[in-house]
Amino acid sequence: MLRQPLSRALGLSPSRVAPLTARKFAEQVQAQPDNVELFIDDQPVSVPPGTTVLQAAAQIGVEIPRFCYHERLAVAGNCRMCLVEVEKSPKPIAACAMPVMKGMRVKTNSDLTRRAREGVMEFLLVNHPLDCPICDQGGECDLQDQSMAFGSDKSRFTDIHFSGKRAVEDKDVGPLIKTIMTRCIHCTRCIRFASEVAGVDDFGTTGRGTEMQVGTYVEKMFLSELSGNIIDLCPVGALTSKPYSFAARPWETRRIDSVDVLDPLGSNIVVATRTNEVLRILPRTNEEINEEWLSDKSRFACDGLKRQRLVTPMIADSRGNLTPVDWEEAVVAAASALRDCPPDKLLAVAGELADAESLVALKDLLNRLGSEKVCTEQYFPLEGAGTDLRSSYVLNTKIANVEDADFVLLIGTNVRFEAPLLNARIRKAFIHKETDIASIGPKVDLTYEYIHVGDSASIVKDFATGSSSHEALKRLESAKRPVVIIGADQLKSAEGPALLAYTQELALRLQDKLADKEWKVLNVLQRTASQVAALDIGYKPGVGKHLQDGPKVVFLLGADAGVVTRESLPKDCVVIYQGHHGDVGAAIADIVLPGAAYTEKRGTYVNAEGRAQQTLPAVTPPGRAREDWKIIRALSEVCGARLPYDSLDEVRDRLGELSPALVCYGEVQNNNYFAQARQLAQSLQKPVSGKLDVQLKQLEDFFMTDAISRASPTMAKCVQAVIKQKQSPY
Amino acid sequence: MLQAIGAAARLSRTGLSRSLPAFSTSSRLSAEDPASRKEAPIIDNESVFATPEEKKEKMTQVVAITVPTKVDLSPITGVPEEHVKYRRVRIYQPPKNAMQSGTNNIQHWEMEFDTRQRWENPLMGWTSTGDPLSNLKIQFKNPEEAIEHCEKNGWVWFLDVPKIEKDFKPKSYGVNFAWNRRTRVSTK
Repeated sequence: MLRQPLSRALGLSPSRVAPLTARKFAEQVQAQPDNVELFIDDQPVSVPPGTTVLQAAAQIGVEIPRFCYHERLAVAGNCRMCLVEVEKSPKPIAACAMPVMKGMRVKTNSDLTRRAREGVMEFLLVNHPLDCPICDQGGECDLQDQSMAFGSDKSRFTDIHFSGKRAVEDKDVGPLIKTIMTRCIHCTRCIRFASEVAGVDDFGTTGRGTEMQVGTYVEKMFLSELSGNIIDLCPVGALTSKPYSFAARPWETRRIDSVDVLDPLGSNIVVATRTNEVLRILPRTNEEINEEWLSDKSRFACDGLKRQRLVTPMIADSRGNLTPVDWEEAVVAAASALRDCPPDKLLAVAGELADAESLVALKDLLNRLGSEKVCTEQYFPLEGAGTDLRSSYVLNTKIANVEDADFVLLIGTNVRFEAPLLNARIRKAFIHKETDIASIGPKVDLTYEYIHVGDSASIVKDFATGSSSHEALKRLESAKRPVVIIGADQLKSAEGPALLAYTQELALRLQDKLADKEWKVLNVLQRTASQVAALDIGYKPGVGKHLQDGPKVVFLLGADAGVVTRESLPKDCVVIYQGHHGDVGAAIADIVLPGAAYTEKRGTYVNAEGRAQQTLPAVTPPGRAREDWKIIRALSEVCGARLPYDSLDEVRDRLGELSPALVCYGEVQNNNYFAQARQLAQSLQKPVSGKLDVQLKQLEDFFMTDAISRASPTMAKCVQAVIKQKQSPY
Repeated sequence: MLQAIGAAARLSRTGLSRSLPAFSTSSRLSAEDPASRKEAPIIDNESVFATPEEKKEKMTQVVAITVPTKVDLSPITGVPEEHVKYRRVRIYQPPKNAMQSGTNNIQHWEMEFDTRQRWENPLMGWTSTGDPLSNLKIQFKNPEEAIEHCEKNGWVWFLDVPKIEKDFKPKSYGVNFAWNRRTRVSTK
C-alpha cells in the first residue's frame, strides 16, 4: 500500500478531482474572497477558512497517513502520524489539527515529513507486539500497512536489559468485543466514538506515558447498541470482533455488498463469506442512511443465519410432528389446501423479513384464488387516509435530513433501539447543531438529554390543538426545521387512529408555517424492514379482524412475531409456513416450505423512509431451501392459478407496475398529499386518554427481536451480559 | 521569400525521410504500377508547411480507426448461453473497507457476476465452485466503459452507484474545548 500522493491525485477519477486544465485555470483566477488558498505539494488548493491541512490535502487527493484522526469523530491530534512539513515553519505540524493559513506551502512527501513519520512509526512499534501472524487485524491493519509504507526498514529495538515490551492487561468489555490491550496505540478513537456517537461515556484513559491505558477503569461492559463500530474504528488489533476471532483472514473472504433487514432503516452492509458461509457483516458507507456505522444486531446476528434453519420441506404427520418430505409432496399438499379452501376463508400473513418480490407474488396468488385477505403482522390504522397515501406511513424528513433539524419531537418511540442509526443521527444533530429533543412517552435513555413532556397520550392532542402551554410546544412552533417522529407501535391500540390524526395535525400545522417549503415534518417510524414494501404493495396492516373470521387455510410468509397463534385459529385450520427459520411460525405449521434468508437471495426491501434497496445473494440457501418468490410461483402452477412471471425481472416489472418507487433502487422519492391526509384524518381527532409505552425499553430488549437474532447465540450472550452487568455495582 | 521556400523544402524533406504514409510518395509509388499514374502525386500545401508536431497530430487522426456500430461478441465468444442470458452483472465502485482508513484501490469501477453456489472442498478445505465466471472481476475507469463492455458481451447489467457524496465541513480542534457547546470533550 505504497502511497504516492501526486500520482494518486492525477489518477483519480474526474468526478473527484478537477481535471488538470481546470486546475490550471483555478491558478490564474483569483480565489473567492472567503476561501483560503494554500499549496500542497505545490498544487494550489482553495478551501474555506478553518479547514485543516489534512482535509485540504484530501480535497486534491493527497492522503496524509493518520491513526487518531477520523473524519466522523472529533479531532484528537495525539498520534502525530499526520506530521507534515510546512515551509518556513521550524517544526513539522500535525495536519489533522492545524487550520490552513493563506499561502501555506505544505510538503507531504519531503525528507523532513518522511523522517517525522518514520520517527512516529518507530515509537509506536517500540511498544507494539510483533504478533501480526496471530492477530485478527492482520491483513486489514492500518498500523501494518503504514509501517510498510512509512516505517523504517530496520529496528533499533534491541532490549538489552530484557525488560520486554510494554504489556497491558486485557479488559472485558462484553461478548462482542475482544480486547488485546497490549496492541493499543492510544489513538483514542474508541473513546471518542463512545462519548460522541454512542453516547455512552464509559471509555477513557488512565495513567500517563508508558503507563497510559485505555479502558473503562472498573471492569464494565460497553453497554451500547453501536458498540461493534469500535472494532472497525480501531486502527490496530486491540479491539477485534469476539464472534469472528480467528475465523478468517480478510484476503480469504469474498465481500458481497448487500442491505441489512434487521431494522427498518436498511443499513448498507458488506457480507464477508467463505465456503458458502457468512462469516461476518461489516457496514458499507451510505451517507444517506447509515454513514459508516452499523448497529450491533445487524452486525453480529449473522451467526443466527446458520442455526435453526429450515432446510427441507416438512409436513405434519398424524401425530402432529413435522417430518421431512420432498418438495413435490409439500408443494402438492400446500397447493391442494389452498385450492380446496373457500376464498373467504383463505388468509395470508407476511412477516417482518419478507422481501417485496415474495410479497407481491403471494398477494397475486391469493387474489387469483379469490381472496383479498393479505395482511402484515404489524398494525397500522386504516381509518382516514390509512395506507392510501404514502406520506402517512414513512419517514418523510429522511434519515440524513434529521441532522439538519433544530427541534425533534419523539412520540411514543424509543428510537435508540427501534432504529439505532436514526438515533445516532439525532445525537449528531444534538451535539454539532445544538438541536433540542423532546419526547412524549416513557422515560428511556436515548443517550442524550431531552425534554420529557410526559407519557400521556392526551399531550399529543394538546400539542396538536395548540392548547398546551408546555415549553416544548413553544420551541417546536418557533423551530425553523422541526421534526416529529411517531413510533408505529403506538398506532396499534384503539386510540391509534386518533393519535396518528393528532400527529398529522401537529406536523402539518408546523409545516405550513415554515419558510422552507421543502422541509417535511411528519415521520412515522415503522418497526420492521418489510412493512413499508407490504403497505406499498397493498397489504392490509394487522391480522386481528381476519383471525376472528375463522380462516381455513393460513399462509404465513415468515410471520414469526407471534401474532398468529394456534389458539386464535380454528381446530381444523391448515397453517402453511414459508420462511427460513424454525421459529414461532414454523412451530404452529402443518406444512413448512423452506425459504431463503436475506443473505441468500436477491430481494427488494423498502426502508422506513421509502427507499427501495436490494440485497444480493452472498451464499446459497442451505439444504433444499429455495428463493421465496420461486416457491410461491411453483405453488401457483400446482394450484391452477399460474402467476404470469418466470424470472426475477418479470417479478420486478410487476413491482414496478404497482409502484415505480419499489424498483427505483437506492433512491428515495418525496411524498405528497400531506394536506389531503390531514383533511381525511380530521374527523378522527377524538379524545385520547391512554399512556404511551414502548416495547424496547432496555438494552437487553434490543438484541433479540426477530427470527434471525433469536436464533443467534451471540445475541443471546449479549442479553445475558447486559443482565449480568445490571447486577454489577458499577 | 527565399527563406520561406527553404523552410518548405526542409520540411518536406523531413516528412519524406520519415516515410510517413500520408506524406511519403516513394513507398506508394513502389507499391503501385507507376505507369498507371497519369501525373505526379499531389501533395497539399498544408502538409508541406506543417511543423513536425502538426504532422504527428494529423497522423494520429489518420491512423485512428472508428468502429461504427454496436458490437455483440456473445455469438463468437464461446461463453455458454446460460452464462450470457441468465447471469446478471453488477457494475459498482468497490466500497471502502470499514476496518481501514486508506482509500487506495477503490477509485475505480468493477463488474462482477452474481454469486453462485460455492462449497468447501473436502480435500483441502478450499472453496470450490462450478461457476466459471465466479472470479471474473474486471476493473474500469468509469461506469460507461463497464457498461460498454457488458453490452458488447451481451450480459445483463445493472449499475450500483454508491451514496458517498458528502458535504464538506471544516473540522476544528478547538471545538473540543468550546465552553458553551455540546462538542466539549468530557473524557480523554
